[in-house]
Amino acid sequence: MFFRYASVASAALLTSSFPAQSAAADESLFGSSKLLATPGVIQVEGAGGAGLSTWAMISGYGSNREIGASAHHTYVTTDDFTLNATGVTVGFFDRVELSFTRQWFDTGDAGGRLGLGEGFNFNQDIVGAKVRLFGDAVYAQDTWLPQVSAGIQYKKASEGAIVRAVGAEDDDGFDYYLTASKIFLDKSLVVSAAARLTEANQFGLLGFGGPNGGHSVQFEGSAVYLLSQDFAVGFDYRTKPDNLAFAEEDDAMAAYVVWLPSKHVTVTGALTDLGDIALQGGQQGFYLSLQLGF
Amino acid sequence: MKVFKHLVLAGMIAATPAATTQTAMADSLFEDLGGMTKIERITSRLLDLTFTDPRTAPQFKQTKRDRLEKLLNDQFCELTGGPCKYKGVNMKKSHIKLGITEREFNAMVEQLQAAMDAEDVPYHTQNRFLALLAPMKRDIVER
Repeated sequence: MFFRYASVASAALLTSSFPAQSAAADESLFGSSKLLATPGVIQVEGAGGAGLSTWAMISGYGSNREIGASAHHTYVTTDDFTLNATGVTVGFFDRVELSFTRQWFDTGDAGGRLGLGEGFNFNQDIVGAKVRLFGDAVYAQDTWLPQVSAGIQYKKASEGAIVRAVGAEDDDGFDYYLTASKIFLDKSLVVSAAARLTEANQFGLLGFGGPNGGHSVQFEGSAVYLLSQDFAVGFDYRTKPDNLAFAEEDDAMAAYVVWLPSKHVTVTGALTDLGDIALQGGQQGFYLSLQLGF
Repeated sequence: MKVFKHLVLAGMIAATPAATTQTAMADSLFEDLGGMTKIERITSRLLDLTFTDPRTAPQFKQTKRDRLEKLLNDQFCELTGGPCKYKGVNMKKSHIKLGITEREFNAMVEQLQAAMDAEDVPYHTQNRFLALLAPMKRDIVER
């Protein structure tokens, strides 16, 4: 009996010993209050995710009352091609994410073989938006329910005449995706899967749609193991449409190491296999991405 | 009265196997963290940080540290499967109307990580512990 009384009393004491503070001392709009590694990195099209896949996490370290912005530069080199991508991604209140990324796809020697001219460049601009629908990938550790977000990417390829000449219907198009992600903290594991409705040929660099079809549902997914506070290893897989008649398009995959020395710097290094691209077989190579957060 | 006593006894016996299994499953984390001595050291380091870090200190200005430390020790011990009983109120009641933000909550998670680092708790063991604490965010964070 005494115990019960004591515990009620202690509860009351504990409660009253936390005064309701008016808003915390120095709460700024721009901040980095998310926990390290939990927002993932900027993927190749500028969305929050991993190398090739979009995740349900809102990019950047801004928590629910903060805005978090990051810039990235990504460099991919394969047997015949080079891709550079630069962009900015901003997360608003852990709810909405907006991004802009420009990609430069350098055909190198293959450009000559394809009759485009050596070092011919296909570029594209990607404007993305994502909204978190429900779930909490980080904290809801007592349920299997993932965090789920929906996103859209508008892509505009630079070489309208050429992408149409190879059979694409359009030089711009929309991708729509639904992505579900979960951190299994007790296993130090991050798992994510997304369905993407897209008609983009080679991510959009070779235009949109073609003789073999238009929009189709494709899959992208990641599995990441958190090795330590500042290192993670992971694998991404992404299927792509095969709309063009002149060349078959393959699935893409990447195996990567992410280094997170702080919330402000993230480096991703990957081995990637993008399959055949524009008749140039087996495009394997390296992927390096630097991300700076503000 | 006698019937009542028997009923209680029967209930206790019936409940025993389940309770034992649960403890056996969870107490590996209690052991992996390093038992009660280690938990007490972690909590102490955690509160050293909490009471001085400008992100969290204002919320704890009028908190009696000794009392909080004891409650946290009991809570951490019980949660990880140790032989303790948390006697405080639940997380929702104990944080009601404090207006705790996600930022403050995350700051305390980071302090706990730092405390566990300082006590050489392996990263993956830290994550197992954090996985048990994470769902409390629902009841603690109000805005």
